[in-house]
Parts: sequence; structure tokens; C-alpha cells
Amino acid sequence: MPHHDRSSCGQLRLADAGKEVTLAGWVDALRDHGDVLFIHLRDRSGIVQVVFTPESTPQAVCDKAAELKSEFCVQITGRVIERAEGTDNPGIATGHIEVVAADLDILGRCAALPFQISEKSMTAGAAVKREETVGEDLRLQYRYLDLRRPTMQEHLIRRHRIVKTIRDFLDEQGFVEVETPMLTRSTPEGARDYLVPSRHFPKNFYALPQSPQLFKQLLMVGGMERYFQIVRCFRDEDLRPNRQPEFTQLDLEASFIDEAYLYTLFEELTVRIFKIGGIDLPRPFPRMTWQDAMNSTGSDRPDLRFGMTFQDATDLFTQTRYGIFKQILERGGCIKGINVRGASERLSKNVLQNEYAKEIVPGFGAKGMTWMRVMDGGLESNIVQFFSEAERRGILERFDARPGDVILMIADPSWSLVCTALGQLRLHLAHRLDLIPQGVYYPLWVTDFPLFEAADEGVTSSHHPFTMPDRTDFDPGNTDQLLALRSRAYDLVMNGEELGGGSIRINDRGLQQRIFQALGLGEQEVAEKFGFFLKALEFGAPPHGGIALGIDRVVAMILGAASIREVIAFPKNRSAFCPLTQAPSTVASAQLEELGLLDLGGNRPLPGAHAKKDPIETLAWVSRIGIDDPERPAIADALAQAVACAERVDRQASPQEAPLFRVAAVSNRTREGREARIHPLSENGELFKNAPAEKGGFFKTAAVLD
Amino acid sequence: MPEVFTYRNDSPSRITPEGTLAGLRVAVQPNLAVRGWPCDAGSRALSGYTALQDATVIARLVRAGAVLSGSSRMAELGFGLTGDTSARTVVDGHADVALITDTMGEVRLAAAGAGLFGLKPTYGLVSRHGLAGLVPSMESIGLAGADPGRIAETLAVMAGADPDDPSMPDDCTAGFSAVPPSGTGSLTAGVIEENLTRLDPEERLVFDVGVARLEAAGVAIQTVNLADYGLFQDVHHLIAAVEASSSAGKFDGVRYGHRSAVGKNWNDMYLNTRAESFGSLIKPFLFQGAYFQFERYAAFENACRLRGRLVRAVDDLLGQVDLIVLPTRRPASDPKRAATIQATYAAFALTLPASVTGHPALQVPNPGLAAAQDTGLQLIGRRLDDGRLLAIGQHLSFAAREGR
Repeated sequence: MPHHDRSSCGQLRLADAGKEVTLAGWVDALRDHGDVLFIHLRDRSGIVQVVFTPESTPQAVCDKAAELKSEFCVQITGRVIERAEGTDNPGIATGHIEVVAADLDILGRCAALPFQISEKSMTAGAAVKREETVGEDLRLQYRYLDLRRPTMQEHLIRRHRIVKTIRDFLDEQGFVEVETPMLTRSTPEGARDYLVPSRHFPKNFYALPQSPQLFKQLLMVGGMERYFQIVRCFRDEDLRPNRQPEFTQLDLEASFIDEAYLYTLFEELTVRIFKIGGIDLPRPFPRMTWQDAMNSTGSDRPDLRFGMTFQDATDLFTQTRYGIFKQILERGGCIKGINVRGASERLSKNVLQNEYAKEIVPGFGAKGMTWMRVMDGGLESNIVQFFSEAERRGILERFDARPGDVILMIADPSWSLVCTALGQLRLHLAHRLDLIPQGVYYPLWVTDFPLFEAADEGVTSSHHPFTMPDRTDFDPGNTDQLLALRSRAYDLVMNGEELGGGSIRINDRGLQQRIFQALGLGEQEVAEKFGFFLKALEFGAPPHGGIALGIDRVVAMILGAASIREVIAFPKNRSAFCPLTQAPSTVASAQLEELGLLDLGGNRPLPGAHAKKDPIETLAWVSRIGIDDPERPAIADALAQAVACAERVDRQASPQEAPLFRVAAVSNRTREGREARIHPLSENGELFKNAPAEKGGFFKTAAVLD
Repeated sequence: MPEVFTYRNDSPSRITPEGTLAGLRVAVQPNLAVRGWPCDAGSRALSGYTALQDATVIARLVRAGAVLSGSSRMAELGFGLTGDTSARTVVDGHADVALITDTMGEVRLAAAGAGLFGLKPTYGLVSRHGLAGLVPSMESIGLAGADPGRIAETLAVMAGADPDDPSMPDDCTAGFSAVPPSGTGSLTAGVIEENLTRLDPEERLVFDVGVARLEAAGVAIQTVNLADYGLFQDVHHLIAAVEASSSAGKFDGVRYGHRSAVGKNWNDMYLNTRAESFGSLIKPFLFQGAYFQFERYAAFENACRLRGRLVRAVDDLLGQVDLIVLPTRRPASDPKRAATIQATYAAFALTLPASVTGHPALQVPNPGLAAAQDTGLQLIGRRLDDGRLLAIGQHLSFAAREGR
């Protein structure tokens, strides 16, 4: 089909009236008025109404049009005309015109659809009910149909626009896009790797990159100065609703730069891409240290679209008689609180005490919560009588309390627990009380993270071990010193979500070595895992730093999509499974054998395979009956008899005879006159009387502990 | 000696019962559901299980005025008679009729060992709804008692269509009439030659006495041949083991019964639960069933082919004669003490044929002999000819009482 003379459906306007056009696309919807047939024809550009009428369309074409059904792929030639008065459809951009068909070519017929694709109504005013109840797995299984929907097309086109903007902008800034390997070795990001077996090196594996971290640093050593890449990364992490096993990130690294350069560059980039979604971001982006973020919001990615930030109240209670606070302060703890402005009507005593203090806040890990409602006459609470007059006054002042406010405080010996629990409480209340304004975007740089976090033994990197510390005069063996170090790392946070993050890197081999020491990595382990990288630092590595941005997440935020799966053409579902291709799948044992994986793990058998050696073990496994060693001889005897019995039977039987499974005929009868119903014993719960374990109206199986 | 009952009904209804079975005392095995009674089928796999509703037969018996006296001991899951006390409930005077599930001949052997009548009804005649069974294609709820007339009346109440038992064969839905077919005259019974040659002289002697009683009752005796007589045991064994393995699959410790305290995941929980659930006789049998199912499925199909051949052969014989006569038991082997599968099958060798083919079989005692010596007389009839067997039993019973 020649396409040079094809017009785009969605671009026809009143000005085109009278033109002869050729269109191609899919039948979005049909309306049959007997002699006259209207269809909505859809291509990527939009929708136009096409009319088949005996007055203007040849009869043969009308006959062919009668065969049309939703989602047939067709080519139509016709004339654009203005719609008759009163038949305009303001719901579509081409609503003032229609095309009178002169010729029709059916390019592809469409089978019965698994779900409705059309999103536009054929008549003005009537909205097409797009069933959001269409199961996501069904959509993913027929993703090629789901992608025909204008919303999905719009998402992918906008995504393209965003990525192109990034490329163009970075190109302007002198960045070069360089590809790095997908088949590489395990990198130190900390999540599990996806492994790819090597046929040439049996029982050896490539790892898919969790990020191109080391390669981009090597590109800096390699003198590329400014590198970026829109790159796919892979992490085998636990399932989360909004997580994909593979995701796209903008990865960027530059030499001879500092934080200020990266802030400027990235703010400009962020502003440009949000503009594509019609979102104007104010510049410069505010900055907040990690310490301040924790102290004021209890989160390292604060959502600052609303207030309710923390006040510290520790100093108000240094002399307190209230036993719980007193004990906590004696143990070096702290007390922080928030003022839920004007919420006393919605947060009753009952809600505060029974829901929040007893259920919700303990769920955040805190042992308790202190609540006070601010009344005209002072504070109302179940514990306020334990507070001195000065303490009550101090609270009112500290929280700038007015009648109608609710003050919530959490006290604990652990500073971080107070912060995180109160932070979750802050978010919980913001959602419950609807305090988060829609359409507001609050970008923020969070800086000065701790370089290390305390671990069971020693410390671990909070970011990754290549991050430059704020000072270099530390003792790798002194845990207290290590925990006091700050990193030269920065996260770009928006509306409580981390969009990206990066750091200035270490370019000194000695320093890098000491960081590894601090992490407790032995020389051999370092040499084995990072030897090639440390070596590279010996050859005049430039100072450098970079950042990475999660593209899926950013695009979803810009487009206001409900999940990142809405902005990915072929995503996995929430279980990291692809309903379209049915991946992951088993492979032929021939493939495994070729890869030397059949006997992988030496003596360590694959699950269930251990039973294969001994026939007794096999049968114990398939019939799930465990046996003790003393039982073995009896079972071995029984099996020997069974073998002999089966042989005798096999010898006697003749294949000409039909097997008789039952001695008398039974009609395959259903219970007559009975409707499907819930059994009364199930309905009244008696069914559970004999259950060894029941939980919430279900039989409880064993917990999975391994 | 252990208590005869595992559960004793201490508060039978005080209301004077009415109905065709008014006042008849019936003992059951703990594999039959009686609402509120323990129902563990003699197995740890169902330990602690309390029945939530009555089995169809129980509901029918109670409605007809029968009084449930209690629940006896039974072999684990009804495989054999090891530890079974069901017939003793009648012998000791606690019950008039005992319901004993017959999978390989349990009701017939229990009755024979106790000098009682024992009927394995035609396969399918009695609803199995509410029975914790083991071998669905063979088991029948049997009846043991001293009076064949009472057995017939009881069976008449128990039998017949049950919408809750969709496995009931089409020919069984009409039920069973307690009115005996008239007379024993002009009947012919076949004695199987291949069986006779396997009896030792003492058994032969006792059996011949029984056959003579039949003859005295006017039944003509004829020797018949069943060339494949030797196949019954293997066919029964192979099919029963496969079905038992499947039936026992439901004992997983989730919905009921014993559940192991240890297990770090589902599979572990199942393995441990089922390791602890099954005893030393049934566990090897379940392994045999698993072996046939998973490793020798063709042999299972072949066993079913042979079963077809055996059913046709017995039907052919029952075309020539009205009933087949076998001894019920070999006095030398005590099924109650059988500790291995082999010993169990040896003890039940004579009752397996009717279990394989589904024909009705009645054990008839010889009151002139000590129960320990009696081989019993096993009458096998045509399908649904249970009434004729009981009528012959009744006749022999009267004759014995009159000293004929």
C-alpha cells in the first residue's frame, strides 16, 4: 500500500472539507443506522468519523462495510465534508467534519476482543465507559491491543518526547552517550543479580547490570569527560507493586566537576522534562541535609507539599514527673511531635487513643504515642494531668497551638525510631485528612547523607562504596568515626519520591582501599571483586561524579500515570511475570545440559531432585509421607512385593481387554434439583472445628519459613 | 482386653422410638460419621476429628428408630481387622447389628470369627456418604448380626438412592426390599473346584459340612470351574493399594486430623504430618499404592483389565448356578493379628473375590461348631440378589435351631 498520500485521521479539520483523502487505521466504533453506517476510524493521530451511505458510497462498498467489526484494520478513501448542523462531536478533535467513504479495503480482520479498546464516544456528551475493571494481567497478555488505546499511545509518545529531550539537552551540554555491557560481572549495588549462564565457561555466569556504575567511572578514567546513557538496569529484588525487574535509568557521569555543577545541570534538565507534562518547576530546587530531613519529616525523601513538620520537645521535659518521658530521657532518648492543625473535630479522643495510639503507631514501630487536643481551656488528653503547668505552656508555645489543634508526640530512647515512626504518622494523617494538594510538585535536593550505616558487624555503605566522604582523615577501624562521616551524595526528591541520586566519587586508590577496609572486605575479596577497578584508579583517575535518574518513575510522575507499568510498553506484572510471552519459563534439559547446569551445585541437589536416587525416597516425596530409618526395611519389603505383584499382573493381562474401573455403571450425575450453594457447615464456620489451625476464616497451612 | 467401644453412646434417646427398626441397637465403626461423635477411622491421620453431620445411613437408621450404641475399635482406615472389636459389640450383647465396612472381607471375616452372619451387600447398594473410606471401588458398608432377618430389615432402611452419593451405581437406586424371595427350593449352588483344591483337609471337612447343610435345605450343589481364581489376590491388592494411596491423599493436616508440629515449609509440613499419621500396616500399603500409581500405572490398568475378566467369569458362573459357595475363612490365620500386608491378604484370601467383583456375599455361621473352628460358609449371589442370600441364611438359621 502506498502511504505517501495517506492522511492522518486525527488531523483533519474543517479546512480540509471537500478534499479527497485516503485513510488507514482501525475501526474504533460502529453505529449502524440501517442504510447508513457510521464508523470511528482511529490511527495514531486520533479519530475521525467515516460515513457509508447509499447516496454517496457505491453499493459494493456499502456491502463490504457491513462486514466491519471493531478493530478491523482498514483503508478508506473518501471525501471530507462538514457535518450537518447539530451533529458535531466536541468530544473528538475532528468533531466538525466527517469523511464520506467512496472505497473500502479490509486490510486485516479482527477476532473477538478480550476487552474493549475504544475510549471515545461516537456521540457528543455520552462518555464511553472504559472498564478500568479490565484485569491488568489480561491487558498485559494482549498488550498489543492495550497499546492501541489512545491513552497508552499517548504515554509512549510522551515518554519518547521526554527521553528525546534528555538526549538533546545533554548533547547540548557536551555529553556523549556511550553504551556499556549488558553481560558483565556482579556489581556491588547490593540487590540480587540476574545471572546469565555461559556456555563457553560452564558453570560460570555473567550478571546483568544493576547499574553501569563501574563502567561509567572507567569511562571517566578513559577520558570521556562527560558521559550519559539511557540504560536498562536489572535487579532481582523482592516484589513490590511498583517495581519492575528491569527498569530504565538515565545514567550520567562527568569529570572535573563538583556538586554545584550537577545541581545546576540536573535542575535545568528536570525543569525541561517536567515541562513536557505541562508542569512548571521553580528553580533553584531547595536543598536540605539528610539530618534536617530526618529531624523535620522523619524521611530521607521528604514530602514537603504539606506542612506538619516535626518540633523537638525534648528540652521541655528535662524536669518532668511523667514517668514514661522521664525514663526515656534518662536513657538518652528524645521527644518529637507534630501539630495537626485544626483537626480536633476529625480526630476524636476515641480515634486518637484506640486507633492511633493502640493500633496504627505501634505498627510503625513506636511503643506508644502521646496525644493532646487543644481546647479553649487548655490541653485535653489522658495523660496531661501528669504534666506540670510549665510543661503544658511549653507545649502550647513550641507547637504554636491554637484551639482545635491536635498535638501528637512520640518519645523513644532511639532518635531514628522517633523520626521514622513520626514520619510515617505524618504521612498517614496527611492522607487521612486529605492534606496533600494535587497538582503541586515540590522538588528537593537531600544532601549530606551518612556515608555508612551501622550493621550487625561493623558498618555498611548507605549508598555504594565509591562515594566520596566529606573528610578523608578517618580510621577505617573506628566504627564511631565511620558512622560520623557524611557522604558527598545527593538525592533528587519530589513529592516524597526519590527520582534520582548520585555522588562525587572517590578517585584515589588509597582512599578507596580504606573504604573497603572500613567495610570489612578482606584484601582477597577486594582483589577478586574490584581488582580491575582499583587498578584503573592507579592510572591518573580524574575527579568525577555523577547521578542517575529513574526514567520509568519520572515519566509516570510527569504523566500522572497510576503505575510505572502504564508507561512501559511491555512490562512484567506485579509478580515479575510477563503474561504476554509467559516469561520466565522452563527450558529444555538439553539446554541446561549444554550449559553444564544439570548437575549444578555438585552434591547440593535441586529442590525435590534429592528423592530421585532411592526409589523409597522418590515415593516418600511424591506421596509426601516421611519415613524413619526403622520403617525402611518394612517399606523395602512391601515395595519388593509390589514389584512382583505388578509383574504378575502385567504377564496375565491382555491388551485386548478393556480395563474395568468400576464394577457397575454410574451415570455421571449431578445432584438434581440443587443449586450451587455455600455449604451450611462452611457458612456457619463449623467446617473449621476440626482444623488444626485456622486463621480468619481460612484453613491455615504452614508458614513459609525458608 | 481393650474396651470394645472407642465411643459409647451413654445417652441414647429416651423417647421410645418408633419405626421399622424401633429399638434395634446398632454399633458402628469410627469411620462412619455420627454428628458429635469422634470419627478417626482408627487412624492418627484423623485424630480428634468430630463428625459434623450424620452419614446418610446413620440418619436413615435413626429415623427408622434404631438406637446407636457406640463406636467400636477398627483397623487403621479399615484395612483389615487388626485390633477390630466391631463384631464383639454384638457377641457381648451391646448391639444387635454392627456396621462393618468391607473392603477385602472385613464384615464376613469378623462375623465368621464370632459365629455371626455377615453381609457384604452388593457394591453400591448402600450410600457411602459420610464414610471415611479407603478403597472406593470395592468398599461396602456391611452388616454383622446373629439374625439374618434383622440384617435384611436393617439393610432395607440403609439402602437406596442418596443424592449425596453421586458414586452410587444406577442399578442400586431402587434400594432393597426386606421381604424375602420365597423358598430355597430349586436353587443351585456352585462350588469352585479351583478353590477346593487349595483347602487343607481340615478346612475341607468343615466346609463340606456347611455345603451339606445347604444341600439339606434343598439347594442343589454343583462343582464349577473358575480358571482365573488365582488372580483375585493380585488384582485386589494392586487396585486397592492405588485407590488407598489416592484416598489417603486428603490427610494433609490442613483441614482436619493430626498435624505435625515441625516443618519449615509446606512440603515439610506434609511430609512430617503424614509420616506421623500412618501406622506400620497402612504406611507400606500406601507406598505400594504410590509405586503402582507413579511407576507402574500400566500395571494398574492391567489389573483393571483382569478385574473385568474376573467379573465376567463370575457373572458367567452365576448364569449357570444361582449362587457360589466358598468358605469364609481359614481358621488357622487370624486377621486380627495380621501385622503385615502379606499376612493380611493371606487371612482374607477367601473373601477377596466378592470384593473384586462387587457381588453380594453372606457369611453364614455353623452354630454347631465353635467359632474358632468354623470356616464359615460364604454365599456369593448375583448382583442385587442380597435378599436371596439372606433368605437362605434365614432358612439355615431356622433349620439349625430346629436341630435339623
